[in-house]
Amino acid sequence: MTDTPRLAAAEVTLAYGDARVVHSVSLDIPPSAITAIVGPNGCGKSTLLRGLARLHAPASGTVLLDGHNIHERSTRDVARELGILPQSPVAPGGITVRDLVGRGRTPHLKALRPWSAADAAAVTEALSVTNLTGLADRPVDSLSGGQRQRAWIALALAQQTELLLLDEPTTFLDIAHQYDVLDLLHGLAASGRTIVVVLHDLAQAARYADHLILMSAGLILARGEPSEVLTADRVAAAFGLPVTVVPDPVTGTPLIVPTGAPAGRSATPAREQAGIKEIAP
Amino acid sequence: MTTLVPQAPLAPHAPQPHPKRHGLSRLARVTIVIGVVALLLVVVSLWMGTVPVSLWDTVRAAVGIDTGTGADFIVGQLRAPRVYTAALVGALLAASGALMQSIARNALASPDLLGISAGAAAGAVLCIYLTRNTSSLALAPWAVGGALITSALVIVLGSRGRLEPFRMIIAGIGINFVATAITTLLLTKVPQELVPQAYAWIVGSTNARTWQHVAMGAASCLVIIPIALFMVRKLRVLEMGDELAAGLGLKPGRLRFVALATAAIAAGLAAALVGPIAFVALVAPAIARRITRSPGITVAASAIMGVILVVGADLAARELLGSLQLPVGLYTSLIGGPYLIYLIVRSKGSFQ
Repeated sequence: MTDTPRLAAAEVTLAYGDARVVHSVSLDIPPSAITAIVGPNGCGKSTLLRGLARLHAPASGTVLLDGHNIHERSTRDVARELGILPQSPVAPGGITVRDLVGRGRTPHLKALRPWSAADAAAVTEALSVTNLTGLADRPVDSLSGGQRQRAWIALALAQQTELLLLDEPTTFLDIAHQYDVLDLLHGLAASGRTIVVVLHDLAQAARYADHLILMSAGLILARGEPSEVLTADRVAAAFGLPVTVVPDPVTGTPLIVPTGAPAGRSATPAREQAGIKEIAP
Repeated sequence: MTTLVPQAPLAPHAPQPHPKRHGLSRLARVTIVIGVVALLLVVVSLWMGTVPVSLWDTVRAAVGIDTGTGADFIVGQLRAPRVYTAALVGALLAASGALMQSIARNALASPDLLGISAGAAAGAVLCIYLTRNTSSLALAPWAVGGALITSALVIVLGSRGRLEPFRMIIAGIGINFVATAITTLLLTKVPQELVPQAYAWIVGSTNARTWQHVAMGAASCLVIIPIALFMVRKLRVLEMGDELAAGLGLKPGRLRFVALATAAIAAGLAAALVGPIAFVALVAPAIARRITRSPGITVAASAIMGVILVVGADLAARELLGSLQLPVGLYTSLIGGPYLIYLIVRSKGSFQ
């Protein structure tokens, strides 16, 4: 990467009370690309994302936005540069899609200058990018899960930040809607936004991420190109599951396949043919 | 949202007029309509009474124009202070309830159910007991003090690291009982001659209010209502979750603190003016939200609904049972109690 990273962490430790969840992590986020954070449940990936988004103050170390400590800037200023979509926001009952998305303008509004043409334009654009223009005046309660998730992403887009952080945006969506959301993120990165996303599915992360961060037990096991990061040894070590890595038949990116098949279903000749070796965690 | 606010069923394809394209929003239109209703109710309340006064004289006397008739005294000195005080108290209570329901994300949160009104009452009775003074101006700092102490307790007991709405409501119910017990205990110690006054005050009475009460109520509203209105936009975002609000550049902890302190002071001031009037703070914001279908807190519509409820209850207290003038708090309880039961029946068991 030749561009200087806008967002970086320097020896950041994150803790809940005395319980340390992320241990002295350093990283930088490449611009205009998708960075995916993956790892087992409880490895600290969501906490790290919240730390990067200044929602969780580090116990030690510094999160840097444009080279400066993110906690030394006014939180409103930061909100004009960096958007974060948390895991389970609450949609107020009866709110329309347009109203919900409009609330993304909060950091741009002032008490005496409540709503302007620029705000309306940002909302219109966010609705159009997320393909929600036709649903703008519908109550959010009446949307499907996939549409609702797009509405939340539209809220974050209306914030008009170059950096966009999302915590598991594909959770609770069916497979088609998961890819919908990922394609949307891909388009945003292609148009110059810097995306950081926590994902559960390793194959999806490998397909869509330009930069992958693999975490385990509060540490970064590896980060870089997905094909370099996702080796069978590392995934086995991180998740405690024996796996093999095969190329994704569509994209050629790493596809993780567990080697422990249910009893009686192991197609041994096929496995040998595919060159599958057992790798212990 | 899983609050107890019953949402009017929305047809999926119902046209949703938007302020930018179809003139005024539903919220603005409903607010204007109930504002007119409130104004008419105030005029009717000034006009009605045992001594007949012409409508024209009523209106003139109510705004301080010398009519040279009996209206100057009947309306100008007797009815207007009472009706205006009722209206201002209604606005204060409703604003207080709207703020608390927004913070707790729960339609059950209100200064009366959280024990904050009871705290104000305990503070005021302590004032009567210690100073033997029953004027609203003397009671005000004690009532506000009582409200602030109880709301601080509700916040401390209702949070574990962060504020937990349901825990806060349970803590409030406990504090309510303790504060009420303290009030009852103090009442037995108050000198005999002050007991009727103290008692009338505790039930919530708009009897014998003066222009001094109106001035105090107006000053309170002029401070409280603009602060509450100023916070509306941020509170609507906070209702969507702390993390989302913080990501949008708000400070959830500070916002909550300011909103709760404002709500507690409003409840304390209302209590100092007329005593603890039950249920208005609970019911007014809920009705306002229902009829405006506003997704989130509405301060203006809630305050107007509070005016309608308290002025209406005061009118009922004066007129319904003839010479037997029951305190206004009784009527708000008669409306509010069934409404609370209705809320619980409608909620189908989800209290959070």
